[in-house]
Amino acid sequence: MADPVLASMVHALGLETARHYTAATPQVQAYRDRWAELAKFRDGPVNPQRVEVSDPAEMAQQIKAKAMELGASMVGICRLQPHMIDLGEDVLHEFVIVACVAEDYGKVVHGANAVEEEAMRTYAKCTEIATDLAAYIRNLGYPALAHHNGGSAVQAIPIFYQVGFGELGRHGSLINEKYGASFRPGFVTTDLPLVEDQPREFGVQDFCMNCNVCQLNCPGDAIPKEHVMTHGIKRWLIDLEKCYPYSRLRDEYCHLCVDVCPYNVKSHPKTYKSFMKERKQVGYKTPKSW
Amino acid sequence: MEKLYVNEIRPNGEVSTVGLFYSRGEAENIVAQLRNIPEKSECYYEIVEAVAGSPSTSSPKQMREPVKG
Repeated sequence: MADPVLASMVHALGLETARHYTAATPQVQAYRDRWAELAKFRDGPVNPQRVEVSDPAEMAQQIKAKAMELGASMVGICRLQPHMIDLGEDVLHEFVIVACVAEDYGKVVHGANAVEEEAMRTYAKCTEIATDLAAYIRNLGYPALAHHNGGSAVQAIPIFYQVGFGELGRHGSLINEKYGASFRPGFVTTDLPLVEDQPREFGVQDFCMNCNVCQLNCPGDAIPKEHVMTHGIKRWLIDLEKCYPYSRLRDEYCHLCVDVCPYNVKSHPKTYKSFMKERKQVGYKTPKSW
Repeated sequence: MEKLYVNEIRPNGEVSTVGLFYSRGEAENIVAQLRNIPEKSECYYEIVEAVAGSPSTSSPKQMREPVKG
């Protein structure tokens, strides 16, 4: 168990032999097997006949088009910076490409297990995209390493922010104006000459300051009212001690903080309203105007 | 569980919260790794106990059961 907080909680609560996050349906296990299977293809031989890049902007467009062709919903590029790399890891590449796949938000009305299965399906798809995109770049004659659930040395949130996917929300996930926080990523780090995208702010952090729907829907009360600041960005630090008993240490997945976020209404208005109606009926907070 | 914030203090006085950690050993390990990053050589780090009422430890409401699917 890689997560030290989860490991210590499992030990403290005597749950070593209990069914918890490691439990999986056969379909979920198949998705996990997929990214484990692709782990050995994260890196590979680089074509010695390098394609010279005269226009990095054009190459960036080519890479984005390739990622979309492979099944990505959105793609971004930025320079790889130290805070984007896991502590203790060393990734020497100049750029990172992030390819995200949108989840089907409609699964929320089918319950927690359906939401989990959709998340794992999306992660498996991201793994395939990152693997194929890295191989595509290596075939152009440049080193490229895929980062995904089968193995990664990069941090998702700072990369999402830097490529302009959106802003950090109160629930701790990055919010995109089109997909809310209902998307999953795969990454490729590379030295292929590219042009980077820019951060983009569209009012999420201000919105979250006045919206507490995720906080009031969290069954573990793990989302704080107040924020801290990290390099000028507001962060609401999720209390894992309160989150894990609901999200990890029980049979069912918990993804409620993301699922109740009002940013989902733009892409799935009917589903969101239907889901929030269910939440309201069982006593949870819904947006003021509903 | 123990709850500790790690704060990064930059030469210009700006304070940035690195994160919330659940043991002093884990917090000290993070600080040691941050100190090894050349770009952060001029930064100072503090480990601060997260007391009840601080951002991530606001007093818990009554625990509620999540809705089952």
